[in-house]
Amino acid sequence: MDEIGSPARRRGGPAGLSAVQFDTIEGLTELDDLERVYAQLCAEEAEVEVELGALMGQQSNIETKMLALHRMGPNLQLIEGDAVQLSGMINFTCSLAENVSSKVRQLDLTKKRLYQAIQRADDILDLKFCTDGVQTALRNQDYEQAAAHIHRYLSLDQSVIELSKQGGEGSAVEASLELLQEAERNLKVLVTTRLEEAVSTADLPQVERFFKILPLLGLHEQGLARFAQYLCSQLASKAEENLLLAVGSDLGERRAPVIFADTLTLLLEGIARIVETHQPIVETYYGPGRLHTLLAHLQKECDKQAQKIVDKFIQQRDYNNKFQVVQSSMMRGMTTEKIEPRDLDPVLCEVTLMNSRAELYFRFLRRRIVADFEVADAMADETVIQEHQQSLELLLKDCQLSRAMQELIGYYIPMEEYYMRESVNKAVVMDTAEVGQLSSSMVDDVFYIVKKCISRALTSSSSDCVCAMINHATSVLETDFREVLVSKLRAGYPVSALQDLQRGVSSAVSMMQSSLQQGKITNLTQTLGIESQEQAKSAYLVTLNNVEVCSENIRTLKKNLESDCAKLFSQGAGSDHAKAKIDSCLSDLVTTSSKFKDLLQEGLQELNNTSIRPQVKPWISSFLSVSHNIEEEEFSEYEANDPWVQQLIVQLEQLMAEFKVGLSPVIYDTLTSLMTSLIAMEMEKTVFKCTFSRLGGLQFDKELRALVAYLSSVTSWTIRDKFARLTQMATILNLERVSEILDYWGPNSGPLTWRLTPAEVRQVLALRVDFRSEDIKRLRL
Amino acid sequence: MEDYDYLFKIVLIGNAGVGKTCLVRRFTQGLFPPGQGATIGVDFMIKTVEIKGVKVKLQIWDTAGQERFRSITQSYYRSANALILTYDITCEDSFRCLPEWLREIEQYANNQVVTILVGNKIDLADKREVHRQRAEEFAEAQSMLYLETSAKESDNVEKLFLDLACELIREAKQNTLDNNDSTPMPGEGKNINYLSCCSMN
Repeated sequence: MDEIGSPARRRGGPAGLSAVQFDTIEGLTELDDLERVYAQLCAEEAEVEVELGALMGQQSNIETKMLALHRMGPNLQLIEGDAVQLSGMINFTCSLAENVSSKVRQLDLTKKRLYQAIQRADDILDLKFCTDGVQTALRNQDYEQAAAHIHRYLSLDQSVIELSKQGGEGSAVEASLELLQEAERNLKVLVTTRLEEAVSTADLPQVERFFKILPLLGLHEQGLARFAQYLCSQLASKAEENLLLAVGSDLGERRAPVIFADTLTLLLEGIARIVETHQPIVETYYGPGRLHTLLAHLQKECDKQAQKIVDKFIQQRDYNNKFQVVQSSMMRGMTTEKIEPRDLDPVLCEVTLMNSRAELYFRFLRRRIVADFEVADAMADETVIQEHQQSLELLLKDCQLSRAMQELIGYYIPMEEYYMRESVNKAVVMDTAEVGQLSSSMVDDVFYIVKKCISRALTSSSSDCVCAMINHATSVLETDFREVLVSKLRAGYPVSALQDLQRGVSSAVSMMQSSLQQGKITNLTQTLGIESQEQAKSAYLVTLNNVEVCSENIRTLKKNLESDCAKLFSQGAGSDHAKAKIDSCLSDLVTTSSKFKDLLQEGLQELNNTSIRPQVKPWISSFLSVSHNIEEEEFSEYEANDPWVQQLIVQLEQLMAEFKVGLSPVIYDTLTSLMTSLIAMEMEKTVFKCTFSRLGGLQFDKELRALVAYLSSVTSWTIRDKFARLTQMATILNLERVSEILDYWGPNSGPLTWRLTPAEVRQVLALRVDFRSEDIKRLRL
Repeated sequence: MEDYDYLFKIVLIGNAGVGKTCLVRRFTQGLFPPGQGATIGVDFMIKTVEIKGVKVKLQIWDTAGQERFRSITQSYYRSANALILTYDITCEDSFRCLPEWLREIEQYANNQVVTILVGNKIDLADKREVHRQRAEEFAEAQSMLYLETSAKESDNVEKLFLDLACELIREAKQNTLDNNDSTPMPGEGKNINYLSCCSMN
């Protein structure tokens, strides 16, 4: 069914392939079935007819197209013919091109071979020409010409020469080659010996002449070595002459104290001059990158001569011996043989000068050699560049000059340290405090010395040397000098005498009240005959000032050294690494400053504890003897005749007067602040021991205001904060009724922050005799 | 404020050529520079490590072993928190010089300094001249810590510095406690306390 049915559906059912088979129709017996089939067939017929109609409609269209196709037939044949022709043409062109290009290739090859042949012929001609030329030149003693020929020969392609030997002309070429080789050998020997002769007779024009020839013969190393030998001999004779002059120089001369540094300078400048004058020749005839070799040769002589100068320096200045003495006196503090620090001054200066010259020289060498290598190594491998870098470092670091300088500096540092320690000790011993000066002479002297020593170390241009001296300075300040100040502070502020004095003053207080002046107190103390205590007192105050000045001076010193170091580094001395080292050492130095600050705090605390507290305490507690449980009458009486606070202010004024004169404003301020805290604390304790009436509260408020006003006037610190609790207590003591506190408490406190706890508030309220304890208890705080 | 809790100064000392620079390089840069030249004067490197959440900045001063630099290197002893005294296990001489180094430490370093003895170059085991036990006994007699390292193979190098940092932190904490226990008398000088160089931020 499917076999037939499916095409029928596809084609829309033509007659023979109808959905209804004849057999089926014939098998039909029922009318109903027949009619159904008939209807179906009719429908199919109608469908087919429609289809046929449509197809018939298309016929004319198709025919037109067929006609057009028929007309196109001959044209297609034409195209085919053309295509065949084109293909033939292409094939032809292609083979033609192949043909031509192969010929060109052949031509190229031929040309190349021709060139090679010409080259070879040229080379052979050259070889012959060289052979002849060398002979003639040698005969004429024209070594430049001869060397030029040899150079030409040497630059010929060796393989070409080998090839030529195998060629037909073998024997001829070989003969001239042999001649040339022999000439080369001869010339090498000749030029070398002539150069040696010239070197030994110090004949500069001849030296330069043969020096220029050697690189043509491929003898770069020998050339440089011989040339260096000549330069070294020049250097040596000059240096020996200079050293002789130095040793024999008059001690009175201006430069006598630095004569060895000067001699070393002359030597190093001599080498620098050689580099300046001869570098162009070397570069022109030997190419770039050769300066290192030349300088390596020169450095050997420089080392030799420098060592001689250093040896003479050590001998004449008694350098090592001085070091030994310094060493032993620092180790054991032996007094058998001691060197005056002042006597070390010149030799220390000279050593740093020598080292700075050497550093300058090394910087010069480094700069020149690096520049020279840079030109030569522009295209070179990384490994080559590194190798050159290493050989440069080796030259600069491992030379005897640098070692000799390191040794000198190695001895210099302990001597400079000794100089610093001894001078500091001396400054301490010679310490004087001028009248009217807050600090004494030693602080400025000590810092002058420390600055001088580090600055001298700086002039050596050696960062390690500077760092070492900064370290020593830190140690001297932090340990030795701080110890001096500590022991002075330990002596303490003479307490008993002051209290005696105070008692005396107290008894005379009413008498002096109106006209208390500094002068009178001093007079009084003198009449009491306690100058030594007076001295001890001022010594203590001076020491406090000294400690502060030290702390400041250390900061200043660090700042100055920083800018000095920056100056040094801006001249190209040292690396970032060296700068980092110095910075680290300087930051250690500056931490010492805060240790002095701590010491100052301790000293002030001590002063406050031993001399202020014992006096202020009784003054404050005398508040207790003034009744604050008062009525109108007493209040007016107090008004007219102040019972307590005015006297307290006078006493405080008196007490602080000498500190004000004797201490720097900053320290005095800190001390006043300590005193203020003390007063606030003591007052609070005292008030809690008192009882108050309403008017008593008012009286206390007045007194507190007066005190706060006075204290505010004498210190730049804000003291309101310290008195906040007391002020709040006064407020409470001034209340009309207990419940009035609620107007100020909790949500009603407004901008006021209570410093008193609720319990304390109750406690203060209880001080009022007229407040009932039940009311206070009932308060909700 | 810099980002660390403690700053410690560590100074390496010992004879020339025992490998001080190599130990420092290995620790700070993780490399072993072959053909390392002699150190000139003093070199300095910084490495910050973290130990149990505590950031420790180690300032490592690598000194020259050669005699002529001695006076430069000595100036660093006093402010050092720790000293690494190094010798070469393949070089009897470098071991025999140790008492001399200890005298230097005695003379110049502050008395709270932590000293650790390090025997370097254990990668050259077949050339060993100083027995481990001997070195351990020596270290114990001088109440020093002892460690054997190889800068070349990176053996114990990290451990050396980290152990030292731990020890220094421990001591610094101890010191803080002590200082809180009893406020020192004014000018109880001399003692270089660690807090001075540690910022506890």
